[in-house]
Amino acid sequence: MGPLIVNEIISPNTNLLIAFLIGIGFGFVLEANGFSSSRRLAGMFYGYDTTVLKVFFTAAITAGIGLLFLSLFGWIDLSFIYINPTFLWSAIGGGVIMGAGFILGGYCPGTSFCAAAIGKLDALAFIGGILIGIVIFMEGYPLWEGFFKAKYMGSPLLSDWLNMSRGLLAFLIAIVAIGMFWVGEWAEKKFARDDYEINQH
Amino acid sequence: MKPRLILASVILPLGLIIAAVPPNTTKAYKLTAGQLLNEVRENLQFIHPDQVADMLIQKDPSLQLIDVRSKAEFEKFSLPGAINVPLENLLSEDYEYYINQDVKLNVFYSNGSTDANEAWMITRQLGYKNNYVLQGGLNYWVETIMNPEKPASTSPNEEIAKYDFRKAASSALGGGGGDIAPAATELDAPAAAPPVIKNKKKKRVQGGC
Amino acid sequence: MKEAKKYMNPYLGGVLLGLVLIVAFWVSGRGLGASGAPKAALVAGINAIAPSHTANTAFYQEYLGGHAHPLKSWLVFEMLGVLVGGFLSGAVAGRLKFKVEKGPNVTSKVRIIFAVFGGILFGFGSQLGRGCTSGSALTGMAVLSAGGFITMAAIFGTAFGMAYFVRKLWL
Repeated sequence: MGPLIVNEIISPNTNLLIAFLIGIGFGFVLEANGFSSSRRLAGMFYGYDTTVLKVFFTAAITAGIGLLFLSLFGWIDLSFIYINPTFLWSAIGGGVIMGAGFILGGYCPGTSFCAAAIGKLDALAFIGGILIGIVIFMEGYPLWEGFFKAKYMGSPLLSDWLNMSRGLLAFLIAIVAIGMFWVGEWAEKKFARDDYEINQH
Repeated sequence: MKPRLILASVILPLGLIIAAVPPNTTKAYKLTAGQLLNEVRENLQFIHPDQVADMLIQKDPSLQLIDVRSKAEFEKFSLPGAINVPLENLLSEDYEYYINQDVKLNVFYSNGSTDANEAWMITRQLGYKNNYVLQGGLNYWVETIMNPEKPASTSPNEEIAKYDFRKAASSALGGGGGDIAPAATELDAPAAAPPVIKNKKKKRVQGGC
Repeated sequence: MKEAKKYMNPYLGGVLLGLVLIVAFWVSGRGLGASGAPKAALVAGINAIAPSHTANTAFYQEYLGGHAHPLKSWLVFEMLGVLVGGFLSGAVAGRLKFKVEKGPNVTSKVRIIFAVFGGILFGFGSQLGRGCTSGSALTGMAVLSAGGFITMAAIFGTAFGMAYFVRKLWL
């Protein structure tokens, strides 16, 4: 019965080892899908490569629906999984800053590690930047502490806000996602670039 | 066939199923007042001392006796293998592991059956399963098991069988075969000390970035 | 010239990633994440080099007060795995190569500068937003967390909004 760590079926150290293995899986899948390429990631916002959209949304709906099914079969207790807390202002503010960082730098932390692993120097530069950015945040913490901790709303689920069941929300997201896939394919044809080859199966 | 279509044709039906199925109750399911009333009237929560005695003798591992009296009374006399969850602490987090589960058969008991019944009602209202009440409480327990009344020789076989069983039970459970006064006296508790309540708080996961 | 090995089909990739996520939840009760790892490493490093500083600065006091050794965290081990996994995939596909990836209209130098700058923003933003795209957006969406959706909308919305203005970097 999951999650294993909660029911003490595995020890915390095993948990760390499994984290490592999960990381390997994560990194492998990311790289194999080309997330180690900053042009590919940026392509999402110009339309010439919507891989990010496809992988992201497919993963989200697979995991979302998968978890609900696991819960249905009684293999996992969803009340124990970690749900990230919502601090409204910092969620929005942080998101905006991250969005800027994304389009300027062409990576996000996870993909930058992945890209650095295969030798991308711009990814290395990005990681350097991340470290600087974190240090800035930590050192100047008192300046934005108030903003950081503002409007704590617990860990609400979107399905609670929209007053529907989790399953229904997951289904709606799946529909939206699948709709987006068609939009993505259309965009790739329309905005294709001569100097860029999508190069995937 | 295009991967999109394969994906869509798999995900959409699955999504439909998960949307249609009522949400899995990992949240506590509470009974309505009406449902609770029905159960109360049917007295389904009572377990007769005979049954409990039987389980104790058989060393049935699924039995968990829960003494809802105060600690002092518990230490003076308690049934074998019972844990002490004083009624006022019933809803404390420490004991949730014991009262909210679906493996063991919990039997609340107190001197009479009022307190135990209250404990049962509260936990039943929260939707917890597998909780029962020792019918008649310790007083009745002592009367029937510890000091079984010898039926007249003209009683039906059933009664005599019950009496024999209870006599045997009482010796097995340290009752001495019939001379024990109810709860007030000291009793040599059977060898095992009451099990230590394990602090089994389920670990909270950590997460986030 | 050897033809470059193709990338995986994105839908398949998404399903695999979703399965990785499910395993993470089932075993460890949490989803993936990334930005916490460099933070943990930094805190551990700074603490090792200048413990008097960490004892006196608000952020470190809060963070170190609540955690065991910062490096003994799920995220750190996970990111180490990401490095290994990414390397393996690159090795298998023959994509291991030192290079600077950039749009056709900028120089490498400009690209690197913007990469650093973007990194600074992302580093800061991920701390403020309590997560990055992997942690908040991907994992958040999988568990239907409201905060996850909000952060994701903010990230992608801003990136789309700014895309036109920085198009020279990529197009």
